[in-house]
Amino acid sequence: MKAFKVVPVLLLLIYTAASITRWPTHTICKNNNLEVKYRSCDPLQDLALGVDSCSYVPGIVINIRIATILRYTINELSVDISLILNGQTIPIYAKQLCEQNHPEFQFCGKKKGEYIYYEGPVSLNMEGIPQGEFNISAQLFNENRNTVVCADFFIRNR
Amino acid sequence: MACCTYCWLLMGLLGLSYEVSKPLNQMCTELFTNRSYSCEGLGLTELPEQLPFTTEVLDFSFNFLYTLQHSTFSKLKALVHLDLTRCQINWVYEGTFESNIYLETIVFTGNNLLFLARTAFTGPQRLKHLDLTQTGITKLTFIPMQDLHNIETLSLGGNYIQSLELPPGFPTRKLKYLDLQMNIIQTISIRDIKALKQANNLTLNLRGNKIMHIEPKAFSSFFFYNLDFGSCINISVILDGLQGVSTVVLWLGSFLGADNPPIQHSTLQGICNISVDYLTLQYRTFLEFSGDTFQCLSKLKRLDLTHTSLSELLDLPQMNLLKELNLNQNRFSNLCDIHSSAFPSLTHLYIQKNYEAMDLNSGCLESLSKLQHLDLSRSHIESLDCCSNQLRGLNGLQHLNLSYNHNLSFHNTAFNECPNLEVLDLTFTHIIISNSQGPFHNLHSLKILNLSFSRIDTSKQNILQDLNSLLVLNMNGNRFESGTIFSDNFFQKAPNLEVLTLASCQLLSIEAKAFFALKKLKHVDLSHNKLIAFSSDVFSNHRNIYLNFANNRIHIIPRDLLTSLSGQSIINLSYNPLECTCSNIGLLTWYKQNIDKIEDSEETVCSEPKSLEGMKLFSINLSCGYSTARTALITLVVIIVIVVTFILIIRSLKQNQHQI
Repeated sequence: MKAFKVVPVLLLLIYTAASITRWPTHTICKNNNLEVKYRSCDPLQDLALGVDSCSYVPGIVINIRIATILRYTINELSVDISLILNGQTIPIYAKQLCEQNHPEFQFCGKKKGEYIYYEGPVSLNMEGIPQGEFNISAQLFNENRNTVVCADFFIRNR
Repeated sequence: MACCTYCWLLMGLLGLSYEVSKPLNQMCTELFTNRSYSCEGLGLTELPEQLPFTTEVLDFSFNFLYTLQHSTFSKLKALVHLDLTRCQINWVYEGTFESNIYLETIVFTGNNLLFLARTAFTGPQRLKHLDLTQTGITKLTFIPMQDLHNIETLSLGGNYIQSLELPPGFPTRKLKYLDLQMNIIQTISIRDIKALKQANNLTLNLRGNKIMHIEPKAFSSFFFYNLDFGSCINISVILDGLQGVSTVVLWLGSFLGADNPPIQHSTLQGICNISVDYLTLQYRTFLEFSGDTFQCLSKLKRLDLTHTSLSELLDLPQMNLLKELNLNQNRFSNLCDIHSSAFPSLTHLYIQKNYEAMDLNSGCLESLSKLQHLDLSRSHIESLDCCSNQLRGLNGLQHLNLSYNHNLSFHNTAFNECPNLEVLDLTFTHIIISNSQGPFHNLHSLKILNLSFSRIDTSKQNILQDLNSLLVLNMNGNRFESGTIFSDNFFQKAPNLEVLTLASCQLLSIEAKAFFALKKLKHVDLSHNKLIAFSSDVFSNHRNIYLNFANNRIHIIPRDLLTSLSGQSIINLSYNPLECTCSNIGLLTWYKQNIDKIEDSEETVCSEPKSLEGMKLFSINLSCGYSTARTALITLVVIIVIVVTFILIIRSLKQNQHQI
C-alpha cells in the first residue's frame, strides 16, 4: 500500500523533471567520415540550423542556414566558440559580428521578437577538422551578455 | 487505507492540473514595485488578475493572446509601455486601448495581424511609439491613423508593403522615425511621400527595399535627419530620385556577402545636387577607383568607406570640410596610400582591421594638424622605430589606438610629435623599449594608458617616467620578475594613478611598499593571479578603495588587514580557496559584519574543511573559543578543586596539631 502513496509524489516529480527544457538533438551532417549533431543550450528555445555540405575542405567556406526568433535585441552581437575537453572549456574562436554603428550583417540591430534568417558563408579558419570525437560549444550573445543563440555540437571525424 | 491512497492520487492529479492550467499569476516578475512587471514567455492566455491597476510598464511578450478587445487591458488604466511581442495576436478589435489614456508605447512585433479596427488606437492621448515590425502588413491603409497624431516612431519593418503611398491624414506633426526597412517597395512617386514634407528632422529607413525607380524631384526641398537606402541595388537610381534633398545622414552602404554592382565613375555624380553631411558606403566596392568618383563629395563632413576594397585614395578632390574618415577593413599596404593632404580638417581617422600588413612610413599624416583621434588597431603594423617620424605633425592628437598590432619598438623620442595625447592604447601589441629614458616621458597630458598583454619589459624602471597626469593604467597579462611587485617599481613614477589593473600577471607576491607612493589609488584589480596574501596593507589609501583579489590562492586573511578598510571600500574575494575554520575567524567575523563591502558574495565560498566546501561565506556560523556553559563548568571545577584542596590542607594541619 505504501507504494501507492508514493505514486502521486512520483508523478509530480516526473512532471517537474519533464518540464525542465531539454531540446532534441539534431543531426545536420552524417556520412562515412563525418557526423555532426547539435543541441540548443538556450533555455528559452531550440535552434534551426543546416549546412549545405557534409564535407570540410580547408580554406573553403561552408554555407550555413540558420533561423531563429530573437529573444533579445542585437545592437551588438558576438560569438564565442569553445572546445569542451574533459569538462574543461577551451576558447578557440571569438568575434564581434555586429557593432553598434557598423553593422556587418543585415540582421545587426534587429529587435526582440524579430525572426532572422541567415544563409551564407562561414569561414572556420581551420586547417582541417581534427580526427576523433569532440564537443564544441557555440554561443552568440548581445551587448548585455544575454544569450541570443547557444548550441552544443558533437563532432565525429573518422 | 485505499481511501487514503485515492485521496493522495486525487491530490497529486489536482496538483498536476493546477500546474498545467494556471502556472503563472505570481510568476510575473516585479521589476519595480507596483509599476513594472515582466510576464515574458510564461505561456499565458490572459492577463494575470493580480497585476495591480498601478502597472505602468508591462512586458507580456511571448504569450498567447489571439484577440485583443476593450476588456483585455481595461483594468490597467495607468499603462505607459506595453510589450506584446510574439503573442500570436491576430485580431485587434475596436476600443482595445480605450481605457489606457496614458499609453505611450505599444509593441506588436511578430504578431500576424489580420485586423486592426478603426478605433483600435482610440484612447491613448500620447501614443508616441508604435511597433508593427513583422506583423504581415501589406498596405499602409491597414493601419488606423486617425488616433496617431502624436506618433514619433512608427516601425513597419519586415512587412510586405509594396507602396509608400501615405494615406491622407498621415501623422507627421511629431514624427521622427519612420521605419519601412525590409519591405517590397520598388517605386516612389511624388504623390506617395507628399505628406512627409511637413516632417522635420525625420529618419526615413528604406533599407533592404529593392527600389527600382524614384520619380524625379520626388524628394526635392525635403529635409531629413537620416535617409537610409542601405542594400539598395542601384545607387544611381536612388541619387537621381534624391535631387534637391537635404539630409544630415545618407546611408547607402551594404553588408557582408551582398552581391551589389560596383560603384563606377559616374555613380556618385548625383550627390552634387544633394545636401549631405555624412555619407556611408560601407561594404560597397569601386569598379576602378579614381578621384573622379569622389568629385561631388567635397562638402562632406563625415565619410564611411568601411570594407570597400580600397588600396589607395589617389587624386581625391580637396575635401576641406571633412572631419571624420572611416577606412576600416581595406587593403592599404602603406599609410601614405590614403594621401591625407586631401582632407586637411580631419579630426577623426579610423583605419582598423586593415587586411594587408600596413607600413606606417614617415610623415604620411603630416598635413592632418587638426587630427585628434587616430585608430590604427588590428592593422598588422610592425615598426622598429616608432613613432616620432610616423606621427610627425600630429600636435593636436589626443587619442591614439595602436592595439592588436605586431611588434612596435619605442625609442626616447617615440611620442615627441604628439605631446597632447590623453589616451594611448597598446593592448596586445608587442612593445619593445630600447632606451634609457621612458618612451612616454613627454606625454604630460596622458590620462589613460593601456599596456595589457603588451609583453613590455616590467623590469625597466622608466616606463611611466614623468606621467604626472596618468589616472588609469592597464597592465593586465604582463609578467613581473619572480612574480613579485617589488617596493622599488615603475608605478611610483605615476603618483596620481587612480585605477590600476594587474589581472592575469601570474603574480605571487607584492612587497610591502610597492604602492605606497600611489596615494590616490581608488580601484585596483589583482584578479586571476597566484597571490596567497590579501595584502591590503600595501595601499596607503584605505578609504573608498576597490580591491579585486578574485581568482587567487588566498586561504586565510588576518582581521587587521580588513578592519583598516573603511568608508565606501569594496573588496572581491571570490574564487579563492578560503578556509572556514577557527584559524580564519578574523575574516569570517568581519565578513558578516561588512557584507555591504563585498562584491560577488555568491561566489565567495569555503574550500576548507571538506564538510563546508562550496558553502557561501556569509552563511557560515562558526563557534570558536569557549562557550558560556563550558566556561561555567570550568569555573565550577576550579572552585571544587580549590575547596577540596583547602579542606585537605586544613585536615592535614589538624592532624599535624594532634600529633604534636
